[in-house]
Amino acid sequence: MSAGEENIATPGEILGDSSQFIAGKGTYLAPNGRNIHASLTGQRRLVPPPPDSAEKRLTVEVVGHKTRGAVPEPGVVVIARVTRVMARMASADIMCVESKAVKEKFTGIIRQQDVRATEIDKVDMYQSFRPGDIVKAEVLSLGDARAYYLSTAKNELGVVSAQSIAGATMVPISWTDMQCPSTGQVEKRKVAKVL
Amino acid sequence: MEVETSSSSTASLVDKAVVPGDIVLDLTSMSDQTIRLGAGLRQYSDVLSVVKAGKLKFKKPNKYWVESSQKRYAPSVEDTVLGIVVDARADNFLVDIKGPTLAFLPVLAFEGGTRRNIPKFEIGTLLYVRVVKANSCMNPELSCTDASGKAAEFGSLKEGYMFDTSTGLARMLLSSPTCPILEALGRKLSYEIAVGLNGRVWVNASSPSTVILVSNAIMRSEFLSDVQQKILVEKLMQRVQG
Repeated sequence: MSAGEENIATPGEILGDSSQFIAGKGTYLAPNGRNIHASLTGQRRLVPPPPDSAEKRLTVEVVGHKTRGAVPEPGVVVIARVTRVMARMASADIMCVESKAVKEKFTGIIRQQDVRATEIDKVDMYQSFRPGDIVKAEVLSLGDARAYYLSTAKNELGVVSAQSIAGATMVPISWTDMQCPSTGQVEKRKVAKVL
Repeated sequence: MEVETSSSSTASLVDKAVVPGDIVLDLTSMSDQTIRLGAGLRQYSDVLSVVKAGKLKFKKPNKYWVESSQKRYAPSVEDTVLGIVVDARADNFLVDIKGPTLAFLPVLAFEGGTRRNIPKFEIGTLLYVRVVKANSCMNPELSCTDASGKAAEFGSLKEGYMFDTSTGLARMLLSSPTCPILEALGRKLSYEIAVGLNGRVWVNASSPSTVILVSNAIMRSEFLSDVQQKILVEKLMQRVQG
């Protein structure tokens, strides 16, 4: 058992004896009831028992040194890249939650009625998003098993960055138009009002 | 090997065959002019170049485009095409229009269409439809009404015979004034025809031999000049009647 600064524990490593310690988070008791093993990679930590309990033993824990990746929650603003545009919805891969990048892939869906706040039944998905656009959206709910439900129905939500047909990054002109700097062509998007 | 400079300022490429990479116009010499680009042309900073092989066309005062003929069809809005029903879903029919993806025909896109009188098209039904929405990332959307909502000859085509042609021949058959082959055939025979811009033609007549004659004549007339088309029809009529 390592002591001093080298407090790193790896899965399976024996941290102590069950007569001296209680198995806490990130550890488990061996089947023989004697040894306490670590189940995560991380820092070994000793927690003193609560003062008014009869317990005299310390609790040994292993704290993962990597923080868990960000997970979208309802109400947070995420950055996503549009993957498919269909007649009634667009699907997007969520890349960042607030300002942290995600560690695993999350899928979001922007439905036709969630694209903007006004005239929601006259929304043309193709004039709002194209595959490859980077959008800022708000998570509405956890959605179904396949995807989160996202919304761009606010002024500051929508397409943040997009490429024109000619391949250049477009410049926003209004909340419905973006212009390609090399050909001058104007394309329609639901543009986010970035201050 | 010397590389020739591509500024062919002396020879205009209008009405000639062009291939991708050919430069149509050098814009550095022209300023303050509006030029309209049609299909097959693209602007790369100050040069107009061809992106699709075909024949370059020009219409006064300022329209340029490339006309090409393919067996495959690229769906575009307001085209009238012939489609074949592949599947029927809850809210639209899946129709094959010879494009890269299947097209959706909404179940309500008919004159006076409501949830109660949805037409029952079997798989394999031939339809004459109009393209309403077409873009690179979604399936095209079709309609069996014209822009004002009337039926206007759209819908299913019964009996007759359908064959595939190139898109160039379909455009020639639809040109106005009437294409010489159709006019010559119409003088001797009576038949019904529907042409789809996606390269499908449907012919119907009272007897099968007329249908075969008309179809064969059309299929052979793609690269013939006006006079040659008339001669073709005369020879066919002689063989049939003689």
